[in-house]
Amino acid sequence: MTFSLDLITGAVSFLITLLIFSYLIGDNPLFRIAIYAFVGVSSGYVAAVIFRQIILLRLFQPFAVAMISGSLLDKSLTLVPVLFSLLIFMKISPRLAGMGRVAMAFLVGVAAAVTIAGALTGTLLPQALGAINTFDMNAALARNIQPFEVIGSGAITLAGTIFTLIYFHFGAHPKPDGSMRRLGLIEIFAWLGRIFIGITLGAIFAGVYAAALTALIERIAFLINFIGKFL
Amino acid sequence: MRVVTAVIAIAAGVLVLAGYFLQGIFPALASVQALLLNWAILLTGMAALAGIFNLIFVHTDKIRLREKGSIYSAVLVIGLVSTLLFGMILGTENEAMKIVLNGVIVPAEASLLGILTISLLYAAIRLLRRRTDATSILFLLTAAFLILGSATLPFGNIPILGTVARWVSQVWALGGARGILIGVALGTLTTGLRVLFGADRPYGGN
Amino acid sequence: MADLIKCPSCGESNQPDQEFCHYCRTRLQPLTSSTKGADAPIKPGQLPTKKNTAELEPILPQWLRDARDTARKSAEDDAALAAKKAQAAPASSAPDLLAGLHSQADSDEDETPDWLASITGDTPKSRKAQAESPEVRWVELGDAKDFPKEEPPAKSETPAWLADINAANSKPDEKDELGDWFRAASSTDEPLQPAKVSPFEIPSSNDGTADWLKQMAADSMQDDGSGFNNKNEAFKAPSSSADTPDWLRQMNEQEDIKNETPLRNESKPAFDVPSSDTPDWLRAMGGVSEEPAQSADPFNFPGSGSTEPEAPVIPAVPDENMPDWLKAPSPVESASKPRKTGQLPAWLKDESNTPPEEEEVPVWLAETPTPVEPAAGKPEPFLMDDQSANLGDDVPGWLQAAAPQSSVFDIPPSEQPATAVSDSADAPDWLNAFKSVDASQQTPAFSLDESFESSAPAFTSDPLEEKSGEALFTEMPDWLSNVTESSSSRSSVTNPESIAPGELPSWVQAMRPVDSTPSRPVMSSSPQSSDQTLESRGALAGLQGVLPSVPGYAPTSKPKAYSIKLQASDEQQAHAALLEQILAAETEPVPIASFSALRTSRTLRWILAAVLLAVLTVASFAQTRIFSLPTDVPYEIGSAWQVVQSIPEGAPVLVAFDYEPARVGEMEAIAAPLFNLMKNPALTFLSTNETGALLADRFASGPMTSLNNGGGLSYSNLGYLPGGQMGIRAFAEFPSAAMPQLTGISSFSQFSAFILITDNADDARAWIEQTGSARGAIPFVVISSAQAAPMIHPYFESQQINGLVGGLYGSAVLEANNPGGPGTARAYWDSFSLGMLLAMVLILGGGLLNLGLGLRDRAAVREA
Repeated sequence: MTFSLDLITGAVSFLITLLIFSYLIGDNPLFRIAIYAFVGVSSGYVAAVIFRQIILLRLFQPFAVAMISGSLLDKSLTLVPVLFSLLIFMKISPRLAGMGRVAMAFLVGVAAAVTIAGALTGTLLPQALGAINTFDMNAALARNIQPFEVIGSGAITLAGTIFTLIYFHFGAHPKPDGSMRRLGLIEIFAWLGRIFIGITLGAIFAGVYAAALTALIERIAFLINFIGKFL
Repeated sequence: MRVVTAVIAIAAGVLVLAGYFLQGIFPALASVQALLLNWAILLTGMAALAGIFNLIFVHTDKIRLREKGSIYSAVLVIGLVSTLLFGMILGTENEAMKIVLNGVIVPAEASLLGILTISLLYAAIRLLRRRTDATSILFLLTAAFLILGSATLPFGNIPILGTVARWVSQVWALGGARGILIGVALGTLTTGLRVLFGADRPYGGN
Repeated sequence: MADLIKCPSCGESNQPDQEFCHYCRTRLQPLTSSTKGADAPIKPGQLPTKKNTAELEPILPQWLRDARDTARKSAEDDAALAAKKAQAAPASSAPDLLAGLHSQADSDEDETPDWLASITGDTPKSRKAQAESPEVRWVELGDAKDFPKEEPPAKSETPAWLADINAANSKPDEKDELGDWFRAASSTDEPLQPAKVSPFEIPSSNDGTADWLKQMAADSMQDDGSGFNNKNEAFKAPSSSADTPDWLRQMNEQEDIKNETPLRNESKPAFDVPSSDTPDWLRAMGGVSEEPAQSADPFNFPGSGSTEPEAPVIPAVPDENMPDWLKAPSPVESASKPRKTGQLPAWLKDESNTPPEEEEVPVWLAETPTPVEPAAGKPEPFLMDDQSANLGDDVPGWLQAAAPQSSVFDIPPSEQPATAVSDSADAPDWLNAFKSVDASQQTPAFSLDESFESSAPAFTSDPLEEKSGEALFTEMPDWLSNVTESSSSRSSVTNPESIAPGELPSWVQAMRPVDSTPSRPVMSSSPQSSDQTLESRGALAGLQGVLPSVPGYAPTSKPKAYSIKLQASDEQQAHAALLEQILAAETEPVPIASFSALRTSRTLRWILAAVLLAVLTVASFAQTRIFSLPTDVPYEIGSAWQVVQSIPEGAPVLVAFDYEPARVGEMEAIAAPLFNLMKNPALTFLSTNETGALLADRFASGPMTSLNNGGGLSYSNLGYLPGGQMGIRAFAEFPSAAMPQLTGISSFSQFSAFILITDNADDARAWIEQTGSARGAIPFVVISSAQAAPMIHPYFESQQINGLVGGLYGSAVLEANNPGGPGTARAYWDSFSLGMLLAMVLILGGGLLNLGLGLRDRAAVREA
C-alpha cells in the first residue's frame, strides 16, 4: 500500500469525521480539537484566497500598473480602493477603528443600493406578478393542469401569500382595556398566515432534514469505503 | 465625521442605484456603477481579511494569557497560519490546498451537518411536549408528510402520498414561501432606503 | 529695635516672643499647630473643619468675658422667652443660600422675614408665589441684574473681595474663641449639618459678632449702652490690620495725604451739596436733620461683619484703657448724626428724627442677647473656626458675581482704610473705578462709619478711615448710584414683587439680632408712628421705620407662613401610590406559570443516534438496491431537464458553485445526473464562495468524470467572485471586468445557459435578483439542496428560473429517468429512504407521545 495524496487525504478525513462524530456521545476534547482545527484551516484557506484573488489580483496589481504606466485618472481610481482598504484594516485596532467608518460607509451605501434594486426588481415585483399569474389559464394548460385545479391551487397560493404578509403586519390599536391588539379581521388573517407559515416551515424542515441525512449518509459511506480499503 | 460618512454612504448608494434604473438615459452611470461596485468588492475582501486577522489576535491573546482552552486556540492559530502561508505561497489551487479542503474542511463540515440529523430528529420529537398550538402541529405534520413523500418504499412509490405531498409542498408551502419572500423583500427595501436616507447608519455614524 | 515686632493692628511695638499684641491683643505669631491651617482658604463646597479653639478663650478681652458673664446671667433671667426664641433662632440662622432647596421640614423657616415683608409690602399670597417662582433662583445662582435692587439690606454680608482680605487676616483663633463661649452659652449642642454650614461661614461670623455685641449691648444697657461703641470699635479694628492688602494700605496712605482733617468735620458739607446724579432719596436725605440715622447701623453692621474676625482682638484693650466712648453712655448718637442723614433715604430720614439716645442703638443691640438666644449661633462655633480664613471662598458665587453692583460692597470699602487706592492690581475693576472717582474728586464716597467714628474718639485717631469714609460718601460711585436710582425708580422698597421670600440668604438671617424680643420697642420715642414700624426680623431687625415708605401702609400682621411641602390632593396622592405599585410590580419577579423547563434527554439523543446510525450503516454497508427510485418527474425537474438538454454542444454555459463543503455529497449527487444530460458544452465555473473554486475542481475531477460522455466535458474555473450580491451584479454587468480570467465573453447574455448549484436560498435569490436584467432570455436552472428548494420554488413559479432540481429526490428522479453516470443517488437512495421513513415514524410517534405528555403536564400544572 503506497502513501498517496488520496490516502493521506482519506486518513485525515477519516480521523476528522470520527472526531466530529464523537460529539454524539457528548462534548469532549477530541471533538473540540477537530472543531478548532477546522475553523483554523478554513479561515486560513479563506484568507489565502482573499489574499491571492483580491489583494494581489484586484488591488495591488492594478494599482502597480496604474502607478507605473497609468494616467492620473487611473492612478486616482486605483488609489481610492487602496486607501479605503487601509481604512478598513484600521478597524482591527480599537483606537483606529473610527478611521474605518468612511470606508464602511461607502461599503454600506453601495450594498444598500444593490440590495434595494435587487429586492425591488428581483423579488418584490416578480413575486407579486407571480401571485397574480397563478390564475393564468394558458400557463396552466401548458402544464396540463385543469382549470378548476388552477383556480383552487391559485386561490390557496394567493391566500397563503396574503395571509403570510398580513401575519407580518404588526400594526395594532389600543383597546378600551388598554391592551394593544390588531383588528379582528387582521387577527384572523394573521392566524391563517401562521398556518401557512407553519406549513412552509415544515417543508423547509423536511428539506433540511433530507440534506442533513444525505450528508450523514455520505459520511457513513465514506467511513465504510475508507475502512473497506484496508480490509 | 458623521456627516462625512453619511454623505459618502448616501452618495455611493444613490450613484449605484441610479446605475440600475437610469443607465438607459445616462449610459455613463453604468460605468460609474461598475467602478463603485469594483471598489466595494475589494472592500468586502479586505473586511473579511480584517475579520480573520482579528480572529488571530483574539486567539493569540488567549494563548499568551494562558486562558482556559488556550490549547484549542493554539490548534486554531497553527492551522490558520500554516494554511494561510501555504495558500499564499503555493496558491489556492495547489494540491496541498486540495488536501486541506478534502481532508479537513469537507469532512468536518459534512460530519457536523450529519450530526445535525440527530438533533433535528430529537427536536421534532420533543416539539409537541413544549408547544401544542396549531402552528406547531401543522409544522410537524407537514414535515412528516413531506419526509414521507420524499422517500419510496421497497415496492415502489406511494401513489397518493407522493401526489399529495407534492401538492402540499408546491401549493400550500408555496403560498407561505412567497409571502415570506415578499416580506423579506419589503424589509430589505425598507432597510436599504433607511440607509440611503441616512436614518440608519450601521457604519458607526450614529 | 529690630527685636521688636510692630503690631499689624495697632502699630504698637511688642516683644518678639509675644504671641498677641500687648495693646490690642492682635495675634503676632503664626497660628499654633492646633489651629494651623485654619487660615487656609476653604474651597467652594468644602465642608468646614471643626477645630478646638477653646484654648484661645483666654485671649478674649476682659470686657468681652464680662459681657459674656453678664449675658449668661441675663439669660437665666429671661429663660422662658429666650428659650422660645432660641429654638426659632437657629432655624432662622441656619438656612443656607439655597433656601429654595430646603427640606420640607424647614419649609416654615423659609417664610419671608418680616423685614423683607416690610420691604416688599407684599401680600402673603404673592409672597408665596414668589417663593416658588424661578426668580428665587437668581439669588442662588448669582444673577447680578436684579440682585442690587432687592438685596441692599441683605448684602450687608461680606463681599468676596473683602472676604479675601479677611482670609488674609485670618483670625480663626478669636472666632473659635467666640464659638466656644457660644457653645457654652447654648443649652443644647446640636450639630450643624455640614451642607448648611459650609456656605454660611460668613453669616456665622456675623452672627457671632452679633452675639457678643448683644452681650456687649446687654452690658451697655446697664452701662449706658456703650456696646454700640464697642461694635463701632470692632468695625474699625480691621482697618489697621497689617494683613490688609497692599491696595488697601495704599488707599490709606493716599487718603492720609489727601485728608488731613477729620472726616467728621468734612462730611457734612459733602452732603449739603448733593450731586445732580444723586437719587431722590439721597437728595431728600440731604435736607434732613442732622439727627443720626439709626438706620445707618444696619448699613454699618454688614460692613462690620466683614471685619468681625478682628472684633475679638480689639476689645482686648484692657479695661483701664477702655476708651471713653465705651464708658460713656451712648456717645455715638451725637456723632453719628452728620453726613449720613444727608445721604439716607427718606425712610431713614424719619429715623433721624428719633431721639438719639435710644435710637442710636438698634433693637437688636439694645436688647440684651441672652446666652440662650445665641442658639442662633449654635452653628457659629462650628463655622467660625474657619470663617475668617474662608470668607473669600465661602462667599457664594452669586454674591461675588453681584459684587460690582451690590450696595453691600460699598460699605466694606468705607470701613476699610483702602478707599483711596488708585490702581492696585489687587483691587477689582469695579473698585478701581470706584477709587478713581474718589481720587479725582478727593471726596469720600461713603461715610456711614463716620457717625460712629465721630462719636467715638478712640477711632478718630485713625484718620485714614475717616477720610476714606468721607471720600466714599461724598461721591457716590456709579454702580452705587445706579443701584440707588434703579431701586428708587423701580420702587423696589415698596414693590412687593421685587424680593422673593425664600431668597433670604441664611447669612442675612444669621446676622439678624431679631430673636431677642423683637417686640421690645427700643426706639419708642419715635414721633412719627406711621414710619416707625419696628423691624422685628431680618437684617434691619430692631430698627424702626427703616423700610416702609408707602403712605398708609403698615405691616399689620406677621406674614402667613407657607410651607414648601408638596401640595398634592388626595387624588394625586392616590395616583402616585398607584404608580408606585405599578413600578414595584414591574420589578417583582413573576413566577412563570408554565411547566418546568424541559430538560435535554441525553438518553433519547443516544437512542436516536444509535438507531439512525445503525440503520444507515447497515444500509450503506449492505449497498442494497431495495428501494425503488421515484419515477414521476415533477414539472420543475422536467423543465430543468429540457433546458440542459437544449444546450448546444460547445455552447458556453456558466455554472456557479455556491454551496458549502458540508453539502458537497448532496450537491454532487444532485448535479451529476443533470450534467449527465448535457452535450459537452463549454463550462465556465464560478463561485461566490471562497471554497467554491476547489469544490468545482473536486466536482470536475470526481463525479463529472463518470458521466455518460466519458468525462468529455470541458470547463474553465474562474475561481472566486468576491463581493456577494455586489460581485454578482458587477459580473452580470461586465463579466470580463469582474472576472479578468474570463475570455471570449463580454456580456452575461452571451452564455447559452446559466446553472446555479447552491444550498442556500439567499444565494439563489441574489443570483436571481442581480442577473435578472443582464440574463435576458438565457435559460437559468437551479440545482439546489433539499433545504433551499422550498424557498427557491416561488421563483420557478414566477418563471424567473427555468428549472429546479432539488435534493436527493430530484437527483433520484433524474437518475431513474436517465440511467448512467455516477449513480450516487442510487447508491444513497436506500439509506436515504430508510432514514426518511424512520424519521417520519419517529416524528409522528414521538410527537404524539410527547403531545400526550405535554397535555398531561399542563393538566397537572392547572390542577396544581
